[in-house]
Parts: sequence; structure tokens; C-alpha cells
Amino acid sequence: MTQHTMIYHPTVGKLLKNIQKVMIGKDEVAELSLVALLAEGHVLLEDVPGVGKTMLVKSIARSVDCEFKRIQFTPDLLPSDVTGTSIYNPKELKFEFRPGPILGNIVLADEINRTSPKTQSALLEGMEEKSVTVDGKTIPLEKPFFVMATQNPIEYEGTYPLPEAQLDRFLLKLSMGYPSRQEEMDMLNRTSSQHPIETIESVITKDELIELQKQVLDVYVSVPVQQYIVELVSATRNHPYVYLGASPRGSIALMKAAKAYAFMHDRDYVVPDDVKYLAPFVLPHRMILSSEAQYDGKDEKGIIDEIIQQTKVPIDRGER
Amino acid sequence: MSLYTNQLKHQSALNLIVYISGFLLFWEWLRPLKSFTDTGNISVFVLYAAFCFFLSYLQMPWYITSPLKLAGLVFVLDGLFIHVSLFSMDWYRMFFYDAAYNSQVIMEQEWWSMTPLFRSFLFLLLLWLLSYLLHYWFVIAKRTLFFVVLTFAYVAVVDTFTPYDGKASIIRVFLISMILLGITHYQRLLTSEKTAVPENRRPLRWILPLVALIFSSSVIGYAAPKFSPQWPDPVPFIRSLADNSGEGEGQGAFGQAVKKVGYGENDERLGGSFIQDDTVVFQAMVDEPQYWRIETKDFYTGKGWVRTVEENHVNSSDGQVVMDVFSSEVETEAKEAKVLFNPAQILPRLVYPYGTEQIQMIHPPGPFSYGKETGEILPDTEYTGERTMRYDIAFQEPNFTFKALRNVPAEDPEYIDELYTQLPEDLPSRVKQLAEEIVQDETTRYDQAKAIERYFQDPSFRYETEDIPVPDEDQDYVDQFLFETQKGYCDNFSTAMVVLLRSVDIPARWVKGFTAGEEVDAPVDLPSDTMEFYEVTNSNAHSWVEVYFPEIGWVPFEPTKGFTNMADFSTGLTLEELLEGSSDDEREEPEQELADAWNPVNPETEEESRANSFWNKFKWVLDGLWLIIIGILSLAAIFIYRYRYHLLTSIKRKQLGKQADPHAFEHAYQHLLSVLAYKGLKKEPDQTLREFALDVDTSLGTSDMKRLTHMYEQMIYRDQLEDGQMKKMRELWENLINRVLS
Repeated sequence: MTQHTMIYHPTVGKLLKNIQKVMIGKDEVAELSLVALLAEGHVLLEDVPGVGKTMLVKSIARSVDCEFKRIQFTPDLLPSDVTGTSIYNPKELKFEFRPGPILGNIVLADEINRTSPKTQSALLEGMEEKSVTVDGKTIPLEKPFFVMATQNPIEYEGTYPLPEAQLDRFLLKLSMGYPSRQEEMDMLNRTSSQHPIETIESVITKDELIELQKQVLDVYVSVPVQQYIVELVSATRNHPYVYLGASPRGSIALMKAAKAYAFMHDRDYVVPDDVKYLAPFVLPHRMILSSEAQYDGKDEKGIIDEIIQQTKVPIDRGER
Repeated sequence: MSLYTNQLKHQSALNLIVYISGFLLFWEWLRPLKSFTDTGNISVFVLYAAFCFFLSYLQMPWYITSPLKLAGLVFVLDGLFIHVSLFSMDWYRMFFYDAAYNSQVIMEQEWWSMTPLFRSFLFLLLLWLLSYLLHYWFVIAKRTLFFVVLTFAYVAVVDTFTPYDGKASIIRVFLISMILLGITHYQRLLTSEKTAVPENRRPLRWILPLVALIFSSSVIGYAAPKFSPQWPDPVPFIRSLADNSGEGEGQGAFGQAVKKVGYGENDERLGGSFIQDDTVVFQAMVDEPQYWRIETKDFYTGKGWVRTVEENHVNSSDGQVVMDVFSSEVETEAKEAKVLFNPAQILPRLVYPYGTEQIQMIHPPGPFSYGKETGEILPDTEYTGERTMRYDIAFQEPNFTFKALRNVPAEDPEYIDELYTQLPEDLPSRVKQLAEEIVQDETTRYDQAKAIERYFQDPSFRYETEDIPVPDEDQDYVDQFLFETQKGYCDNFSTAMVVLLRSVDIPARWVKGFTAGEEVDAPVDLPSDTMEFYEVTNSNAHSWVEVYFPEIGWVPFEPTKGFTNMADFSTGLTLEELLEGSSDDEREEPEQELADAWNPVNPETEEESRANSFWNKFKWVLDGLWLIIIGILSLAAIFIYRYRYHLLTSIKRKQLGKQADPHAFEHAYQHLLSVLAYKGLKKEPDQTLREFALDVDTSLGTSDMKRLTHMYEQMIYRDQLEDGQMKKMRELWENLINRVLS
């Protein structure tokens, strides 16, 4: 997919290279995670345990020189375990706020579907509002703020699947997949003495990252490309197998992601290729399929591919 | 930049060589024309071709070169054919009159009737087109192999089948074409690799080894021993094949002194082969097949016939003809005939059956004059302004009887004796001896004539149209036929019979005309049931014999083998006494109107008929012109359709050159996409430009499309373009489109 654009923005390129030192054969996921990071979005990683989800988040956090926090979601986790709580300090005779893990810069929310909806929404509210409310006080979250949530697709017993409305808080939904044999061998070699995660150092500062995020906003999206985005998203609403299509928020998400992707490849404008490439990561978790789709063995990704195939790519300025 | 201009200079130097080579190759096509066609003034055509090539080389816009080429064409035509000042209206009138005539001729597919002026005009047009085509092949598409192969084939074929000796030509073609192929290949390499030749390398340095190599190899090839031809000469085989097929009419191009059959006025030198020609000369409506008489000749020179009789022509304004071919004592039957000439084949003299009494000129109406002895009927073209196309004849078909013919008095009138027993003084005596031998047992003039006529039915005489010699200076035409060749066609037989008759003092003369022709389905309603419709072609041109019988007149005889004695001539000669009193049933006057072609004008007022005739002629020409225009238009349409992408490309190129704005470029890029689609690289609607560019580059082996697309993307997805990119864009676009279209 990416064979034709291997040019990277210098800083982003550095970042990616650093991550690749740790993550073997996971270039695409790493790249897409950075897209979400640059677009100030969040990532939902759906995969089995042990394929390197934590390592990915850790390596991103280390590379950016950010505060990394991890929340292991369990059924008995309380919202305050996420947001933090005020504790009485007898010495000073007042309540002191103890910040929860959500107040980090890069947060790994592990197995998010194993906790109760109440706790989930504490996290999701933070993701959406970029602030948390504790004891009636609103505490803004520090920038950058990037959540990478994981969920295990094989366990259904005792899980609380995320409601659709909450799923679309995630910019991208990714999956890691197993490494190839060769990659796994490399992994063994590299981790035999010391895990590489211990050795990597940050390549950019927090401020630099914030600056990059600002620049992403300046990436130009032309009218034809906007039309293309809208075409794709509205096609999900008209597809016979789709019960509920992607919302306008989906269009915005797709544009944001495309901007970040274009920026990452050192371009100050979005091309249809960006949109086309990102749509299968941005759109599937934003729609609900009809029951016929399940009968016919269709899944969200397949339908998005179909929609992409049927949508005409704009190749002129469209104003004629 | 200097590298670029140097490159251009280099290219144009190479282009010049390509042009010159192309022209030289083309010249090889023109060279042999002289040896197997009747094209004269080859050098003029070569010069014109050179002129066209030169103009193409200059690569000026078409609106400059086309008028120049046209002017050249007009100039050549003026110099060769039209001896009127180029700046007078007459010149153009003549030219257009000629063109109108020829388009009519073309419509009727009578290619041989085309005038030299028009043929030359077409040929010059052809040269013009070819110069453009070669320009395209050689310089734009850089594909020369096809033309080279074609040239080799052409020279080989011409060398094999015509007298042209292609030995030197083939060596020249080899030299030129190898150089040409070398250079064009080199040019294509430069384009496909996008290599520039470094400044210090001059083209000569590269060309010299090529030339040296080609020359040395051809010298070696020329000098080296070669196998003799590995297959027998195909020409005799093909010729024998052609001879065996049918009547062997196919001959012609290879023989010497081949004529086309048909009526001609000059008979001073008879002999030689002819080829058949089935062009219809006239159509006739008549009851029974008739021999169509045109004229007679009285003086035999030993080589052919001339006319010595001097007579005053009788003018006839009322249509009366008193020819006195036979006397009033001969029984006759009143008949009618209608004749319509093929407009492209109108003869200066009228054709008419024996016994013609009255001729009514229908189209155009007018008087005529006729000669009693010569038998020619000449319409007054000065009066009518054009040749006679249609006329009706009333005639008395003679009925000769044996009895009368055998019982004629022995004495001929003096002037008959004087005129029609003439023989050349140097006629070999064996002719007279032969004649006496033939007639020795016969007593009456009729039987003697019959005996001579019969003599030619001997199997030793053969009817042939090919391989008939023309007598040498010291040979007599008849003597050669009677004693040496014994083969020939009507002229041989009829002349020989006249000479034999005169050798035994029987007055006889030589008659020219047409046989009855072929009966065909009438295209129009016939005026009466008994009438039949005949088509008489050039191949029906004929000559026969008239023998004088005192008190009866001139009686036709038919010595030519294959033309069974008077069978085709049944109009006149009912020789059986039984038929003597055959009934004269009265026939009604034809009242029925004829169809348009047959009856273009009613004998109304003269003015009207003139106007009508003009209109008819004009309509005819118009019809032809329309067909030609439609033909040209459809050819043009096919051409445009076939080369639509090339044509569109040049339009886009011009637009790009004129206005270097994004809009023009957008159009140009879209055009490139459609050209690619036309060449099989179609962009799917869901493909992004980058994906498509990758496909294109992979299949073309370049990276141009990616680069170009990148710029295009900036233009449409970013809405701005960096400075100086326009030029680069145009360059990439040119490269790609040339590559795809070549």
C-alpha cells in the first residue's frame, strides 16, 4: 500500500525509525499509530495478547519523551481509578488531588472491554473532552494526550463491549497481527540479552510534538478531496449491508487522519491516496452491519473495500 | 541549457539526413516509372517531390506550407499542360473543365480516358500526400523499417516483371536504407533513454562509423561471390499462365507496340497487337443485329489505308441521306434504329446501318454533312457546339439475292475501276498469283468474291489479337499476313481480301465500323416489341470488305475468321432465294416515350433543349462530384478517426505552448489519460492517479508518469504550482505522449 510514498517528514521519520528499533515488522501499525498521534486522535487496537501492543505504546511514549501511563482494566476497576481521586491530608488539613493514570500524556488502556461501562465512560469522556471531572472540579488534560486502547477479540465471557457511540471516539481501529517467522526470529535475537525498549531514547520533545500537531492542522484539503471523503462516508450510509453508516464525525475523522498522513509524508496537501489508504482504518468501527451481512459472511472491512472500489477518485478540479 | 540546444542542433542535423535519405528512397520509387508507364517528365515530378520534402523539413505550420505546395502544383501543371497565362481566368476554366470531365470519367470507371493533365494532377497530389506521410513516418514516429521493406519489395517486383534493371537501384536502396535505419534507431534510443549526447560529441563522429560500416559491408557484399538465383525466373511461368487463361487478354504490359482496340482514324500503319477494351461506345435500339458502318478507305499503301478520293460533302439540314451504296433495284425493308453515344466516347463520325436514308439528330439537333464515297457522316459541331450524342435513323435494309448478284454485267463504271482496283506497285507478285489461283474455277464476280472470302476460312489462318507484327519497311502488310504469319484480326483479313480482289480486278474497298455488339437487357422501355437493345463496345470495332457489283452497288463481305459469314450481318444479306419475298409487315411508329437517358430532350425549342442538355451534363458532373466529395469526406473521416489521438495531441500541444496556465495543463493531462486508455492503459475509476501512474511507468519503463502526476496532483489537490514547474511539466508530457503514440 505504501510502496509509492516513502518520503517522510524529517521529524516524523526520525520518530518512526526509533519505534522500528523496537517493533519488528510492525511498520504499518507504527505508522498509523503516529498518524493518530499527530492528528490528536486515539487508537483502538484489537488483538490477542502478546503481539506487542504494550511495546508499541511504550516505544512511542519513550520516543516522544512523554509521560507514559498504563491502566489495566479489570471488572472491579472504578472510575476514580482512572481519573484520580482526592485524599485527605491530615498534615495540611485539606484534600489533595491524586491524579489518576489518565492524566499522563500517552496512556495505554489495556483490555478496555473488561471493565464496567461506567469506568469505560470515564476514560472515553476524558478522550472526548480532553479534561476530567473529579469531585466537581474539571481538570484539563495535559497536551499531548494520546490513548491507545486495546481489546481482546476472543474473550466474550465477562466483557462489556464498547457501545457504538463510544467506539467512534477512536480515530483509528487497528490490529497488530502475528509477525512472520523471520520477524519472530529477529525478535528473539534482539531481545535475548536486553530488551531494546530499555535502550531507546527520546528523539523529540513534548513541545516539538505539540508543534507538529499544530502543523498538521495547516495541511490543505482541496475541494475534490473533501468531496471524495464525503462520497466515501455517505456511501457507508447507503450500502445495503449497513444498518447504520458512519456519522459526519466519521468524515471529520477521515479528514483529520488524512491530513496527518499527508503531513507525515512531508506533504502540505492531501491527495486521494491518503484518504483511500486510511478509510479502512477510520470507517469500519463507525458503522453497524445489518444481519444480512452476517448471513452473507460480510465484515466491515470488506464492505469498506467494496465502497472504495465503487467510488470514483476525483482527478480534476471538478469546477468545470 | 546549452546541452539542450546542442541536442536540438544535433537532432536537426540527424533529421536532415533522415529527410534526404527518405527522399532518395522515394526517388527510387519514381525512377522505374518511365520504363513501364507512359509517364513523361519524370524529372518534374522528382523536383516537385523534392520541393514537398524540403517544405516538410522546414517544419513550418501547415498554413504556410500548403499554399506553397499548391502553388508548386499549379506551376507544374501550367508548365506541362496548360499553355494559357496562369493569371487569366481561362487557365482555371480549362482546369475545372478538365477536372469535371475527368470526374465523370472516373465515375464511369473509364480510367484510360482520363486526360494527362488530370492524371498528372492526381499524381502530384499523391506526391504531396506521400511527402507528408513519409515525414510522419520518418521524423515523428521514427519508424522507417516498413517503408524500407516496401521499397525493397517494390524494386524487386519492378526488376522482375518489367524491363527496368533494378541492380543499381537495389544497391542504392540498401545503402540509403541502412543509414536511415541506423539513424532512426539511434534517435529512438536517445528518446527512450532520454540521454543527451554530450556537447563534445558531434553527430558526425557517431555517424561516420555507421556509414563506414555500411559502405564496407555493401562493397564486400557486392564483390563477394553469390549464388545464382535459387528459383527459376517466374515471369515466363506467369506469362504462360496468363496466356492460357481465357483469350489471353491479360497481355499488354510486356509486349511491344500494343494498342487499345477501338475506332481510330489513322490506318496508315496497320499491324501490332491490341488489348481488349469493353468500354461501351454507343448503345443502339434496332430490330436485328446490324453492322455499323462509319467510313470506307480506297487507297492501299502496302502498310495500311489512306483516303485519296476527293469529294464534296453533301450538306443535309433536313436529315436526308442519299449515300447510293446500293442501287434502287435492290429489294429493301424499311427499318429504324436509335443510337446513343457514351458521352465519354463520342466519335467524330456517326455510325449507321446499311441503307440509311434519314438521320434525325436528337441531341443536339443540327445539320450534318456526308460523303457518298467515303461513307462518313459528320455532324456539324460548329453549329451545335458539341458532339452528337443521340440520333434516330430510318434505313432500308437491303436484301441481296444470289440471282441478281450472279447476273451482273461485266462492265464497271470508269471511276469505280480507277479508284477501287488500286494496288501498290511494289506488291509482291505472289499475292496476285494466289488470287488468281483462288478464283480460277469461278466464273461470276460473286462466286469469285465468295471464293476469296472462303479462302480465309482455311485452318492455316488464325484469329489472334496478340503478337501480331507490324510489317518492316520492306514488307507488305498483306503479303506478310498471307504468306508468313497467317494470323491476325479483322484488319489483316479484310485488307488481305480487298487486295486479293483487286489483284483479280474486282473493285473492292475497305470499310470500318462496328459489329452489332451485344444484346443486353434494355435499361429503358423499348419503343416496340421487335426492337432489341445493343451495347457496342470498343472491342466491337471492326473492318470488313465491300465489293462492287455493277447495277447493284457495294455489297458487304466478311472475311474475318470467327465472324461467321454475315451471320452477325444479317441486316443486309439474306442470300437465300427462298427468303426473297419475305413479307414486309408494316410497323407502327414508335410513339412511346423513351426513358430519360434515351430521350433527354423533346424536339421542342432549340434553346430549351440546349439548356436542358447543359443541365443534364452538369447534373452528371455534379453527381460525380458529389460521390467524389463523399468519398473524400469519408476517407478524411476515417483518417481523422484513425489518427484522432494524434490530431488531438497536436491541438493540446499547441494550447500548452500558447498558454502555460494550469487550465491548459489540466486538459493536456486528461488528454494523456485518454491516449493511454486508447493504447490499453486505462485508469480505473477507483484508481488514484498515483496508483495509475505506477502502472503506466511499470509498463512503459519510465518514471515520467509519476513525476508528471506528482505535479498534476499539486495542481489539483493543492491548487497551486511552484514556479518553473510548467516547463518541466510540458517536457514530461511531451515525452510521455510521444512515447505512447509512437
